[in-house]
Amino acid sequence: MRYGRDHRRAAGAMDFNATPLVDVIFLLTIFFMLVARFSSAEQVAMELPKPEESQAEVTRIPQRVVINCRLADPDDPLGRLVLYHIGPNLPEPLAVISDRLATMKRESPEVVALVRADRRLRYADVRVVMRVIAENDIKVLNVAAHVAEEE
Amino acid sequence: MLSTRRPQGKKRSITDTKESPYARRRRRRSAARGLPIAVNIAPMIDVSFLLLIFFLVTTTFERAEGILASDLPQLGAVPAVPLPVSPIVVRLTQTGPGHADYTIAVDRFQNVPQDFGALPDFLRQLQQQPGFDKQTPVVIVAENNVRWDHVVNCWNAALRAGCERIAFGEP
Repeated sequence: MRYGRDHRRAAGAMDFNATPLVDVIFLLTIFFMLVARFSSAEQVAMELPKPEESQAEVTRIPQRVVINCRLADPDDPLGRLVLYHIGPNLPEPLAVISDRLATMKRESPEVVALVRADRRLRYADVRVVMRVIAENDIKVLNVAAHVAEEE
Repeated sequence: MLSTRRPQGKKRSITDTKESPYARRRRRRSAARGLPIAVNIAPMIDVSFLLLIFFLVTTTFERAEGILASDLPQLGAVPAVPLPVSPIVVRLTQTGPGHADYTIAVDRFQNVPQDFGALPDFLRQLQQQPGFDKQTPVVIVAENNVRWDHVVNCWNAALRAGCERIAFGEP
């Protein structure tokens, strides 16, 4: 007995046409490839400020140090415990962060600071970071905020 | 039935590609059975599915993140240019939890809007007055308990008004 392909067709067996499936999969893959935005590891998840008609600009700064300021418990904004960490590092005391900034400033004098702070923090919680940055003679301070929504 | 045999007497051209004995045997066998030569697309579908699932899982739809840039003063250094006598001092006060949980005040001026959406127009009107322009420093003085969101909103409002010199003052 032959079990060739021609035999199955001849018997009237159902065939699976995969062409539309491949077309749709390719379209979906291309769509997600285009819209995917891979967030950097140093951008810790938090609620950034959302100013009205934001003037924030999306720019790429090569020599930058990201300082994240976030609530220890995002679900409890009144918890008041604030964590500070440089990029993806573990949270550290501000004195340690100050030492790290001093080292970075020595190694690359043109380093720029980017403060990413949760919008629910108090101004005093962020001002201490701005003071640490200024004490280490870093002259440019950038603050992260959401950009304006496109019409 | 199509014949795959080369016509007799015709010489092989130099543009003919060489065919392996195995491929030739397979082609002749398929032709003999009357079967078309098919491409196995199963691996391609596998890879496409993997790619699709990867992008489905990793894609996040979020608003883009930008930066507001500023220059920090050097601590302990004597400023090269003395500050003008009359900067615009914007004071932010936290009044409590809730939606409109802040007040905005501008030193020496009345009828200050209590909304960051209207603050740029107010600052633009100030810039029209004698002694003020876009170069007039705007000093944001926020109390310690003011939410960071309001401070950034105030900074953004000054940028929208075209102010070119924005500073932070001690409360």
